[in-house]
Amino acid sequence: MAADATGVIHDLGYQPYTGPRFGRAAVVRTLTGYSLRSAFGLGRGARAKIVPVGVFVLMCLPAVINAFLVARGGTRAFPYDTYSYLVRVVGMTIFLAAQAPELVSRDLRHRVLPLYFARPLRPADYPLAKLVALITAGLIVLDVPLLLLYVSTIVGVHGPGAVWHETVLLLPGLAYGLLWSVVLATIALALASFSGRRAIAAGAVAGFFFLTWVLSEVLGTVATGPGHAVTSSTAAHVAGLVSPFTLLDGVRLALGGTQPGQVPDPGAGWGSGYALLLVVLVAASVAALVTRYRKVGAA
Amino acid sequence: MLTTSDPPAPVPPGAVTGAAVIETTALTKRYPGGVTALDSLTVEVAPGITGLIGANGAGKSTLIKILLGLLPPTKGRARVLGLDGQRDAEQIRTLVGYMPEHDCLPPDVSATEFVTHMARMAGLPAVAAKERAAESLRHVGLHEERYRAVGTYSTGMKQRVKLAQALAGDPRLLLLDEPTNGLDPAGRTAMLELIARIGAEFGLSVVVASHLLGEIEQICDHLVAVESGRLLRAGSLTSLTQVSQLLLVEVADGPAGRTADLAGELGRRGLEPRPDGRGLLVPIVDEATCDVIRDAVADLGIALGRMEQRRHRVEELFRPADLEVTDGR
Repeated sequence: MAADATGVIHDLGYQPYTGPRFGRAAVVRTLTGYSLRSAFGLGRGARAKIVPVGVFVLMCLPAVINAFLVARGGTRAFPYDTYSYLVRVVGMTIFLAAQAPELVSRDLRHRVLPLYFARPLRPADYPLAKLVALITAGLIVLDVPLLLLYVSTIVGVHGPGAVWHETVLLLPGLAYGLLWSVVLATIALALASFSGRRAIAAGAVAGFFFLTWVLSEVLGTVATGPGHAVTSSTAAHVAGLVSPFTLLDGVRLALGGTQPGQVPDPGAGWGSGYALLLVVLVAASVAALVTRYRKVGAA
Repeated sequence: MLTTSDPPAPVPPGAVTGAAVIETTALTKRYPGGVTALDSLTVEVAPGITGLIGANGAGKSTLIKILLGLLPPTKGRARVLGLDGQRDAEQIRTLVGYMPEHDCLPPDVSATEFVTHMARMAGLPAVAAKERAAESLRHVGLHEERYRAVGTYSTGMKQRVKLAQALAGDPRLLLLDEPTNGLDPAGRTAMLELIARIGAEFGLSVVVASHLLGEIEQICDHLVAVESGRLLRAGSLTSLTQVSQLLLVEVADGPAGRTADLAGELGRRGLEPRPDGRGLLVPIVDEATCDVIRDAVADLGIALGRMEQRRHRVEELFRPADLEVTDGR
């Protein structure tokens, strides 16, 4: 491939491309794959890989600890649904604050978008491809550790019955991971798409997730008193509405999650309220994204 | 092909109109807020290299965005490569390469990687995209540097990458918006040569938008001049610089005032000379005009330095009052 500076350059002239050409759907899939790779810093320098790889390792730590414990004859140390709540909140906040701007702010900042929109893509294709990529990336970060947890557990259990039991517990956990990823990635991408400055976009995402989470925790503590027991009260349920993380936890409990959570079990009534609010949040974020790019695309 | 500012005869919908690569009919774009960027622009662009010339804000970029289907026109119609600008926008965008005026390159990827990605965004399969990216970068003259991050490039190299990404999707038509922006004189010359080569050797039609007439007239076959969203002039470069019905007469070095004497004498002989630089411009009345001038010069005893039928200069596109274009005969 290397052109020898002293060698003769054989100019073959311009050759038109005569091979097959993909349509819009395939182009959108390609963009999704490319964005998924960049969500993990693949195809970029080493610095771009630090955060995604670091978060992934952090998220895998509980599974690794579990592997040690099970190997020493213990039982599974982390549940499949909540896994480690704190690790997930911190990990996803960092991951999305770093990688949502990587996916959208970078193209805004360097004005790459006109090049995309001068190709067969339509304005809504771009944000939706980025969204699917970020949701998939979040899913990998959330669910691969669950699979590790599962594998490290079943090597320590005996009999098909026990393995089946683990599998039945794992599947809702994986689905719950998907719910986390859809909700958090959509909100993060919508927030990040409003600034071309990576630092501002990252600050907006991290600030939103972290501040609402802290606020919800504070309100929850005030509502339930200084004790550790999570008691059910209207004030505690309202506190759960403040943060996407507590909303997700409430929905988990309402759907029959067994592990005690960060919020009191909201039951069917408050549970549907939590779910509805999540749906509204996601829908509003998608609408904001699509509107945003319709505007940018025409600029 | 001659372009005209009059609306052409109505074309039946769906008809592919032979040679024109771009055709607009009464194209109007008003932005919310009342700014009219394009005002009933009717123009036809033939294959070859066409200069789209106009001052900043004349509507060049707006026209390009409408042609790409990125902006809807307020009124009127645009056809690109025989396709309808609104209905077939996606198909048009697969066939058209676009180089924007502004920076559009992320700094943290290599030129190879970026151009490959953009070729894939034009619908090329992975392997073909890689090949075409390498080829496009070679055509624009980027060799070993193409593996380096774009952020480390000079402005000239970045402009080349921008051109390469437009070429990589194998377009039939290239729309280049101010391709010499930010380049030094050597870089400008190189970029213009490159565009001329793309037009001549690659057989692609190219539209070059620029506010620098002197620079694009060197490489263009046709010119379209716009001002305030309206068509000012359009035509082939030869028709725009065609022979005028004016004679340029210059008096050879001699005592000062001889030119004025000649002007007076010609006036008495029924001609209407007017000063132009160091000489006189004399409108041609009939076949005898040259003889009248010859006789006047001889009678005054003046040495004639030069007498020639004058060609219009392209700059005069922007001084329409001075322009007296004939039908090219």
